[in-house]
Amino acid sequence: MKDFMMIFIGASYEELGLSPEELQGRMGKWFAWGDKMGKQGILKGGEALVPNIKRVVGSNRTVTDGPFADSKEIIGGYYIVSAENADAVVKIAEDFPDYDLGGTVEIREVMVFDK
Amino acid sequence: MEHKIVDHLFRHHYGKMVAILTRYFGLSHLETIEDAVQDTFIKATLQWRKQLPDNPEAWLTKVAKNRTIDLLRSIKAEKNRVEKFMPVESSIPFNELFLNHEIEDSQLRMIFVACHPSLNPKEQIAFALKTISGFSTKEIAAALLIKEDTIAKRIRRAKRTIIKNNLAFDFPHPNEVNGRLVRVMEVIYLTFNEGFHSTNKEKLIREDLCGEALRLCKLLLKKEKFRSGSMYALFGLLCFHASRLETKTNAINEIVDIREQDRKKWYFPLIQMGNEAMNKAIEYRDVSIYHYEAVIAAEHIKAKSFEETNWENILNWYTELQDLQPNSFTLLNIAIVNLQLNNFETVIAILETLPISDLEQRAYLFYGCYSEYYAKRNDIVLAISYLDKAISKTSNNLEKAYLERKKEGFRKLS
Repeated sequence: MKDFMMIFIGASYEELGLSPEELQGRMGKWFAWGDKMGKQGILKGGEALVPNIKRVVGSNRTVTDGPFADSKEIIGGYYIVSAENADAVVKIAEDFPDYDLGGTVEIREVMVFDK
Repeated sequence: MEHKIVDHLFRHHYGKMVAILTRYFGLSHLETIEDAVQDTFIKATLQWRKQLPDNPEAWLTKVAKNRTIDLLRSIKAEKNRVEKFMPVESSIPFNELFLNHEIEDSQLRMIFVACHPSLNPKEQIAFALKTISGFSTKEIAAALLIKEDTIAKRIRRAKRTIIKNNLAFDFPHPNEVNGRLVRVMEVIYLTFNEGFHSTNKEKLIREDLCGEALRLCKLLLKKEKFRSGSMYALFGLLCFHASRLETKTNAINEIVDIREQDRKKWYFPLIQMGNEAMNKAIEYRDVSIYHYEAVIAAEHIKAKSFEETNWENILNWYTELQDLQPNSFTLLNIAIVNLQLNNFETVIAILETLPISDLEQRAYLFYGCYSEYYAKRNDIVLAISYLDKAISKTSNNLEKAYLERKKEGFRKLS
């Protein structure tokens, strides 16, 4: 088994202007998904990220504060799951609740360093 | 696993929190308050992914409270430059505002604000659905079949009016209560009708609107000072209508008229609640259109089949209703009932004098009645031609489809 990170990319819920009812629906789906992975014992961790962004760029360490022009494409959170291979994670990612909001899941294998 | 959060918790909580915080900060901060409450739900949506709190509602309340304290600080900082900031409601300690009966109190105040006579009726409904019921602009637009832009404008206008007129977040003066309640009942009635007569694709939206109307009515009835025969009758009426909501459309969302509805599926607990409300209503001396409409709705519910409907009783009630408050829709209904009783001359006499323009977008009902009349007189050609007129008068696809099916039925007869 290997570890994979599922990175969730899309507009923040604030930006999308979801209603309380819609938010509750989203929350339910996220919870159900997390619960399912938890029960399968494949969920290793994960966090949701606050949409405020600070960027440090270049050798001058120039700091800029968001929002940025591309803020419809921010990382909203991640999960780490253990799976056989990337294809198995693709299967897991089918339950990601926000595809209909234009959301994307990026799957990356966590690198293991040889000892 | 199904999550264990109560249906509509967020939406209902939105209305509660906005009402409480408005009571504390005042209506002039409504915009900021709504944003803060919205933030609470976004936070919950992110944090509850991993684990649900033991008591979700308490969690939401706590976060909203804390958010408010932040708000208070920022408002204070802003105000300090010009004046000393004082909370509007200082007679009650902040924490007590979050007790159940105070929450209800705050929500009732918001209802009176929404129904304030300085707001126009269309703005009142949009504002109430947003602020009291927690629907988003988009959801209101979908529910009322109106453009989102228009709804947003109505809400903005309502808020501007509230601030411009410096409306207080309070109950009307005791002398004014009864007058103001008339409008409150109208707004509830209209909200319900939007759901009940709507031909919205989404059954859920229809149920939500009707549910909200019932909820607000119930909230008002909890307070002795807002009870009246009319309020109870309105509640009874809504219960009777709501009991049939499920059977008004079929699985593929076609309109099912009362003749064809499966009466066994009418929801009995609501009918019972309606009956109880009507028993209460008669303990008061006031009489309203709601009394009559409720009694008429009850007559339909009492009938075991369409054929067993007591049309004579219904005709009497409609006639009394027309005496109480003359209205072209009631007149049309009187014609329709007379048609059931085969009083053909009366039907024609009414239809010939009825001011069609009063019926606005529901004029198709008038032509539908004419069509029924000719069908009963075995003149299928004219029946079909009036149905065509009815079809041309409705822009609503569901109604169109319903009338087309009817026309198909007539064709087979001819």
